[in-house]
Amino acid sequence: MNEEALLSRASEERELIFERYERGRENLVGQIDPWEDPEFEEYHKTDRYGFIHDERLPQKTAPQKVNAEVEREKKWIKMLSQWDSPSTKEKLHRRIYKGIPLSLRMNVWSKLLDINRIKSENIGKYQKMLKLAKAWSTDVRQIDSDVNRQFREHQFYRERYSEKQCSLFNVLCAYSMFNSEVGYCQGMSGLAGVLLMYMDEEDAFWALAVLLTDKRYAMHGLYIEGFPKLTRFLEHHDKILTKFMPKLKQHFDKFGLDAILYSLKWFFVCFVERVPFSLCLRVWDIYLLDGERVITAMAYTILKLHKKTIMKLNDMDLIVNYIQVKLHKDFGYEDDVVIYHLERSMEELKRAKLDYPGNPPPSELPKRSLGMFVEPDKRSKIGQRAENFSEREKQARAAVISRREKAELDLQVLRASQSDTVSEHSEVASGAPCDSVSGLGSRRSLADTSVTSTADLSVFSSGRSHAPDNSLDTHSIVSDDGTGSDGSGLRHWRRFEPDTYASQAQPLLHRSGICGMSIQRAPSTAHSTPRGTPHPPSVSPMSDDVVRIHVTYNPLSASPSHLQPISPSKMKNYNEVHHKPVSLGFYTTNGSNRQTDNRIRIQVPSEELLTPVVDSGRIINQRYIESHTELYDLK
Amino acid sequence: MATNRSGASQRPNGAPQTKVCQFKLVLLGESAVGKSSLVLRFVKGQFHEYQESTIGAAFLTQTVCLDDTTVKFEIWDTAGQERYHSLAPMYYRGAQAAIVVYDITNQDTFGRAKNWVKELQRQASPSIVIALAGNKSDLAAKRMVEFDEAQAYADENGLLFMETSAKTAMNVNDIFLAIANKLPKSEGAGGGSAAGARRLADGEQPRSSACCK
Repeated sequence: MNEEALLSRASEERELIFERYERGRENLVGQIDPWEDPEFEEYHKTDRYGFIHDERLPQKTAPQKVNAEVEREKKWIKMLSQWDSPSTKEKLHRRIYKGIPLSLRMNVWSKLLDINRIKSENIGKYQKMLKLAKAWSTDVRQIDSDVNRQFREHQFYRERYSEKQCSLFNVLCAYSMFNSEVGYCQGMSGLAGVLLMYMDEEDAFWALAVLLTDKRYAMHGLYIEGFPKLTRFLEHHDKILTKFMPKLKQHFDKFGLDAILYSLKWFFVCFVERVPFSLCLRVWDIYLLDGERVITAMAYTILKLHKKTIMKLNDMDLIVNYIQVKLHKDFGYEDDVVIYHLERSMEELKRAKLDYPGNPPPSELPKRSLGMFVEPDKRSKIGQRAENFSEREKQARAAVISRREKAELDLQVLRASQSDTVSEHSEVASGAPCDSVSGLGSRRSLADTSVTSTADLSVFSSGRSHAPDNSLDTHSIVSDDGTGSDGSGLRHWRRFEPDTYASQAQPLLHRSGICGMSIQRAPSTAHSTPRGTPHPPSVSPMSDDVVRIHVTYNPLSASPSHLQPISPSKMKNYNEVHHKPVSLGFYTTNGSNRQTDNRIRIQVPSEELLTPVVDSGRIINQRYIESHTELYDLK
Repeated sequence: MATNRSGASQRPNGAPQTKVCQFKLVLLGESAVGKSSLVLRFVKGQFHEYQESTIGAAFLTQTVCLDDTTVKFEIWDTAGQERYHSLAPMYYRGAQAAIVVYDITNQDTFGRAKNWVKELQRQASPSIVIALAGNKSDLAAKRMVEFDEAQAYADENGLLFMETSAKTAMNVNDIFLAIANKLPKSEGAGGGSAAGARRLADGEQPRSSACCK
């Protein structure tokens, strides 16, 4: 198809989708595919044998609870009538933490988000956006497909093209025009879906707009290309875990479980479909009052309350399933108890100055003015995908990868520090300047060099306080380029060129004459990595710069052909690795070391030490490697 | 290259030991083609009409038994929307297998699947086993992608190919089994991608998280 045909096809498709929502359910009789609209039974489920099971909710709200709610309603109604009074200000916090009565949630949320003011300042804007969307939005197909699967078990969204489904579609389409940088991103249907349960269409639109761009919530940065706010908040989340629940963090690391895998919906949709809906609403109440700090604190609270159970789960899928599925079905604590703990968590984090990851950098804020019409380019009109990653996406990619790598490193640090075997030759280098490995041009080039080997014998230490115990039984090199955790990692992200780095790095490695050994920045994935796969080098933005060395134990067959051993005799030990124990001591010559030149020295001492072979943070084998003391200098 | 030192014969009870292999598998494809549904069908035998949209990625595992080998799949189910594309390499890096999914009722999703295949051929491990799944074969009445067209494309590119239906379960287990069969499981086999397997070939730690042992 030529471009014109593609364009006209795309616009036909858009119009067709729009038209169906405009007509709505009543006018689509006989035109809704059965698969789109199976009939739900509201209270019953039929099993495969034909028995109907009563799935009615097990308990009714206790009468005293109902009475309490009625009493609270009265207080709230009074408060709503004098919203701006000092007495409301005084009571609001306490009452919201107790929960907004269900019947008044709609009014209170609108007040908290100041919807009426915004609406009165933007009369006709929503309709205008919706109209523009009908003519231009390139997100219609995606929105349509997500509306068809958002909250389908909820009575509002149960029927295809029901009133609320249509509202959801409209809100999302209109917003895709209103904020052209975000457009529509999966996840937003969850936000708008909840808002629409308590608001009408236009109010929900403005509420969504407030959530994305008001600085109290600033979700814009979560949904734009590259998800910069997600990266920042995940880092902060890790920091909190490391400080308050290091054992749990290690437990996660042990299974290569990055927070991104269990917590994405916490951040993206404020716990929708991750905790029971009643609790979710309570968290939303507080979120709308206190903003993004609540998300951080709730994430911490969930893990704090369930730490014991999670620590007993010894598999990544068990942990993920528990956090994502089980806690959604049954959180195991009364909502009030959770909220009590949430409030304590917020205080605790505040005392530790970890309640807030800081103001968003400009890159997370809207650049274009909102509500301005920007005509989509041809590519997005047709629905073609970009060939290459944008800068932002590359950054996101590098950030995500580096997060995983850091987690793996942390685990290895832990393992090393727990180990009893110590080699006297090993030392820990820290605070070394970035260029301390001059033979390879720079440490960076060294680190960027990546050839995966079969024996991953690395363990790390770093400039951290617990570091000196480690690296001893292992074959690790430790470096700390002193960039610290000031976000300077960003600098490195921009240097990330996935397609070119491998070709640059290999000649460097070759020049260095490292035989049968390959050096890699950090472990690449949680799993075994095929040799020859380029690993994008990346720097953990918040962490020390760590260089990882892989040693192939059979260089003749396992290393790439361009890596020739220095001398066969030296490599003999590696060939015999299956039969003879080897242990590698390891130290660097930079920083406080007394060595004269910039070298990394790998020492193979003669002691027979039990040596763990570590893959992605798991010890996969303990072996003895025997050798005479050998020194390999990496210049 | 690794010697068969920890083979079955060395087990204390002398019983023949089934080899256990663990492979990382990633699902890629356009939004709403049924990636999560395929996984749900394979892992839990269920089908939800309204599988919630995957935000970011989901992780599940499933074990299948071949004649002498138990293969444990670590499955990464990714989000289909383009914006999430930047996260995809995190999941396919190091993957030994991939299922690229399209929807037989939507020609665009087939085009998108081809792009994923290209990307995998360029960026993923050279020896990655790629399977192409034409999903929603229960909606054959609305078919827009011909079986033969997809089969020809798969042949050209050395891909496994099946039309599947997560809804009816047609070919769902089969495609995972076909992948399991094609993955190199013996020590030293399979070239590059067997690095992990080889590394673990002489591992004596009976850790379930390890690969072939």
